[in-house]
Amino acid sequence: MYWLRRAWAELRNEVFVLPSRTLAALWVAAVLLLPLVYGDAYVLRILTMTCIFAIFAASWDLLAGYTGQVNFGHALFFGAGAYTSALMSLKLGLSPWATVWAGAAVALFLGFVVGYLCLRLRGSYLSLATLAFPLIALGMLFAFPDFSGGELGISGLRRLVVTPMANYYVASLSMLVIVFGLWALADSKFGIVLHAIRDDEVAARASGINTMRYKLVVFAIAGAAAGFAGALFAHYLRVAGPSTLELALSFQVVIWGIFGGVATIYGPVAAVFILYPLTEWLGSFRAFGELRLLIFAIIVLLVLLFMPRGLTPWVRDKVETQCPRCKQRNSFFRKLCRLCSAALKAEVSGAQRLVGHQ
Amino acid sequence: MLRSFIVGLAAFALAGIFDSAAHAQTIKIAILGPMAFVQGENHWAGAEMARDEINKAGGVNVGGKPRQIELIRADTNEIQSVPDATNAVERVITRDRADFLIGGFRSEAVLAMQEVAMDHKKIFLGAGAAHSKLGQNVEDNYSRYKYWFRYTPTKDVDLARTLFAVMNSIAQQIRTELKTDTPKVALLAEKAVWTQALVGAAQKNLPAMKMEVVGLWQPSATATDVTAELSAIDRAGAHIVFTMLSGPVGIVVGRQMGERNMKAVAWGINVEGQKEEFWQAAAGKAQFVSTLDTYAEVEMTPRTVPFVRAFKERYKKMPTYTAATYDAIHMLKAVIEKENTLDAEKLVAAIEKIEHVGTGSIVTFDKRHDLVWAVGKTAGIAVQWQDGQKVPFWPPTVKGMKPFKLPAR
Repeated sequence: MYWLRRAWAELRNEVFVLPSRTLAALWVAAVLLLPLVYGDAYVLRILTMTCIFAIFAASWDLLAGYTGQVNFGHALFFGAGAYTSALMSLKLGLSPWATVWAGAAVALFLGFVVGYLCLRLRGSYLSLATLAFPLIALGMLFAFPDFSGGELGISGLRRLVVTPMANYYVASLSMLVIVFGLWALADSKFGIVLHAIRDDEVAARASGINTMRYKLVVFAIAGAAAGFAGALFAHYLRVAGPSTLELALSFQVVIWGIFGGVATIYGPVAAVFILYPLTEWLGSFRAFGELRLLIFAIIVLLVLLFMPRGLTPWVRDKVETQCPRCKQRNSFFRKLCRLCSAALKAEVSGAQRLVGHQ
Repeated sequence: MLRSFIVGLAAFALAGIFDSAAHAQTIKIAILGPMAFVQGENHWAGAEMARDEINKAGGVNVGGKPRQIELIRADTNEIQSVPDATNAVERVITRDRADFLIGGFRSEAVLAMQEVAMDHKKIFLGAGAAHSKLGQNVEDNYSRYKYWFRYTPTKDVDLARTLFAVMNSIAQQIRTELKTDTPKVALLAEKAVWTQALVGAAQKNLPAMKMEVVGLWQPSATATDVTAELSAIDRAGAHIVFTMLSGPVGIVVGRQMGERNMKAVAWGINVEGQKEEFWQAAAGKAQFVSTLDTYAEVEMTPRTVPFVRAFKERYKKMPTYTAATYDAIHMLKAVIEKENTLDAEKLVAAIEKIEHVGTGSIVTFDKRHDLVWAVGKTAGIAVQWQDGQKVPFWPPTVKGMKPFKLPAR
């Protein structure tokens, strides 16, 4: 009873005080409870894929959003995780429960390698350099078709679990753990350093921060998370093919990131949860079926036109205000800050408004 | 108020009952394909023709009750996204309640689609993907994959057999007309993964077939000029240019071979050469270019010519091989009526034993549920461009075939 009361108090004082946190809590509850009330196999499949891609999108955001290392070849890590897990599972007969970790480990190593090779590059040069890596990996796959399965990929993989609901829970729980893990990391001192590196790397280095080490670590962590997503994907579909390394996937994750809002972690996750089911839903209508990619593009363009920082920061700015004194966030309906009691919306007279304009 | 609510509720329930009763009268067949591409268009066109014919004739007779065929159009988007393809299969099975699945094109995607269909124990008639692995799954794990049958095309290995069979026929003609014992063959394969195995097979098999391989040239699939390659082939004295081309370079090869008045004749796979627009695209210079194909107005079976003519009349173009969804639906009708059931287990056993006369082939299945390859039955046809017309020339035993021509020397 004590723990229940304490949990409720925590929820009331820490979560329900802010609309964004309330929304996040509702989303977590929906992710965990939806299959229990609506166990449709098709919906579960869409949501399973959504959860897997949400991990992938969040991992890209840690790298691109927080350190400004915009990776145009993020599918490399996804594909590396998928292929590693598939090959180890199929050729060595290992349990997929072990090989998904191996997939993440190989992607982590590749993160170090790519990060190291691109260490001296910045901005568009870095992005273009990263674009080359999945293409190199594809070339390698096609060069050794007996080993990699060539154009067809590796099929006949074992699933982690059998039933659609169990598969959904593997994907959704993995997603929640990884996304909240990345969020916590980004919200820690480590994350603050990453912000500093992105905003001014020279200044960060002048402050005594070993920026190279941080950038390498972020590359590796982002790679590992994307690789884990790739491994889950391969065992869910029972196929790891060249499509896991295709440029389309690398660009897809960039679209998710920018649509949702970079440097947020939850932004790209929200984008995947909106866009992936939406495009699938549009595809179920014959009238839209073949136009769904066009509709998808129009939606993305409209959002970027009217919400240049992405969807989630725009929504957050609408439902929350920042205290001018203590900088804490408050619900949009509050007049006084919940922490320092400063006025959140100062009454502005006509004369003051005029002065403001001048 | 309460009474009108109850009446409304009852009406709603009745509507639901009638709706489900109406659905019970139909057999739902999902047509899976990349509908934004020509392969998907032909999947759908062939299926539409079959549906209209069968429904007009009274439907499918199941246990003395006629049932109409209802098609579900599922855009798999498989060329761009494998997950989209699996989602489409799940949707048609669980949402649209499809009884049968037909289609698929990209092998990587079809493998993943096959998994979903097998999870649900749904009969899936492949009509596009050629990779051997799809049939190998049936042999390796029969109880899981037995619901898969590849209706078209023949598996990749058999495709190569067809290519070499036609090559042998052309080589024989060259031996006779040009009085040479060992015809020279130049391999012209676009730089792509799919050509690697074929190039290897050609380098190994052609010498055994008493032909000399004079070299391998590999332009890009999108090359706009192949002068260097064709000059080298000319210098090598090749009699045959064995083409393995799927991209637009196929047009360039046809045009430039004509411009150079090459003495060598082109045979092989030239996807552009299969299209009706090829002659115009090659500026009318692709004389004697030949390629594998599926449909022509020849009597591959008694049903070929009527089908091709009806297809051309309805869609104003020639069918491609994925239009064999037409045959797949007719085969389903035949086995359902024979077995008097929609039960997948019984139908699988019946399909395994069937010999179905389709429009492009006479179909029987092997233990992998792949087509049994046979010239004149499932091996397809070969066509040659002659004076702006696509002329079928192989297999020569089929009624309506015309002679293969060599360039004048």
